[in-house]
This record gives sequence, structure tokens and C-alpha cells, in this order.
Amino acid sequence: MYFLQRLIAVDMRSFFISLLLLSLLTCSPVGAAQESWKSLTAAQQEALAPLAQQWDELTENQQNRLLKTTKRYPHLTHEQKKRFLDRLTVWSKLSPEQREAAREKYRAFKKVPAEKREQVKQMVRQEQERKTQQAASGVPETTK
Amino acid sequence: MTIELDPGKVARLLTQGSRQLDAEIVSALAGARQNALKRQALRVPVATLSTGGWTHSLIPHSAQQWLSAVLLVAIFAAAAGYWHHAREQQISELDLAILTDELPIEVFVD
Repeated sequence: MYFLQRLIAVDMRSFFISLLLLSLLTCSPVGAAQESWKSLTAAQQEALAPLAQQWDELTENQQNRLLKTTKRYPHLTHEQKKRFLDRLTVWSKLSPEQREAAREKYRAFKKVPAEKREQVKQMVRQEQERKTQQAASGVPETTK
Repeated sequence: MTIELDPGKVARLLTQGSRQLDAEIVSALAGARQNALKRQALRVPVATLSTGGWTHSLIPHSAQQWLSAVLLVAIFAAAAGYWHHAREQQISELDLAILTDELPIEVFVD
């Protein structure tokens, strides 16, 4: 019983001191250095080429997340690579809240049954085709 | 044949015997007694006049306590690091999926 009391006393003290030290560790600016565009590898620069101008202005968090996506860039199909490069600039200009909202929407969309997802994709494809045809014919889009 | 032991007689014999002990044995016994009392004093919680307030009890005093604190910090740090890494991995995978999905980015962005 005495041993148990002693153990609890020691562990509680250690627990509080650990919390204190951990909070100091997590608040410290360790690893807060941003990576400059020049320090990126050729493969990373290729995957993030549209961001060459504004790369150094991105936050460290944004840079890290984008750098992680570049690891899988070489394995993407030609079409996926094109989409990735086309969307990078728009994506990087969104606010963190907008990006988080987009992730939430994407997660929710993935939970929709495959049939309904396909229907939505079909609708979007038709809409894109209509816009492309309209742009090619030179007729301005009418507002409904 | 059984011998009847009188506690009074035994006590008297022991007292008498202890008076006849060598000075060396008496000194060794006194030393052992002091050591035993020191160990006992460590185990009994004693009310002390602490000027450190409640923070005094939070500061590890012994190597064992420091070791426990460092171990707990290491465990917390490892768990926090693992959780952060897993979350970041999940987010970057989602970002890549959004950036390469067949559906245009506008579908997911307000």
C-alpha cells in the first residue's frame, strides 16, 4: 500500500513535469525554417513548377504539404499530372479555411454511393463539354 | 521434558547480558539502530515548512523521478509526433486527390 502511494506520488509529479516540458517542446520554433525554391530537387521543382514565383512566400505548413504530394507525382498518369499542375496555383491561393472546407467536401463526396458519384461526374462532364462548345462557337453564355 | 520460560526472567537475563556486552558490539548495535531510524525517517511523510508553495511538490527531486519525467516526455513526444505525421500524411493524400480528381476543383471549393 505504501509502495503504491509512493509510486502514484512519483508518477503524478513526473506527469505534471512531463506536461510542462512537452508544452515547452511543442511551443519551440524547432524546424520552423522554410525551404527556398532553389533548395528543392529538380523533381520537386518540376512537380511544383507553376508555384516557382510564389513558393518562397508560402507558409512552412503549405510548403511541407505540397512537398509531400510531389513524392507521388512521378507515379501519376499524364492526365493527372496535367490536372495537378493546372490546379496548383488556384489551390495555393486559397485560405487555409477554404482548403479545409474543400477537404471536408471531398471526404463527404467519397462517402456518396459510387452510382451517384458517377451521375455527378457525368453531369459535370456534360457541363464542361457545353462550355467548351460555346467557347468554340464564340456565342456568349446567357445568364438564366 | 519441557522447560517453562518465565518472560520476566528472560527479560532480566537479556538486560543483564546487554550490560555485559563489549563496547565494540554496543557501538555496532547503536550504529545499526541509527541506520534503521534513518531509513524509517525517509518513509514516513513529514510535514515540512516549504517556501516553494505547491510548485515544490511538482519538481522531481530524485534521479528516479527525473527518469520517469523524461520517459513520460519521450512517450508523449513520440505519440504527438506520430499523430502529427499521420494527420499530415492523410491531408497531403487528400490534397493530391483533390488536385488530380476527374471533377474540377471548383466543385469542392466555395
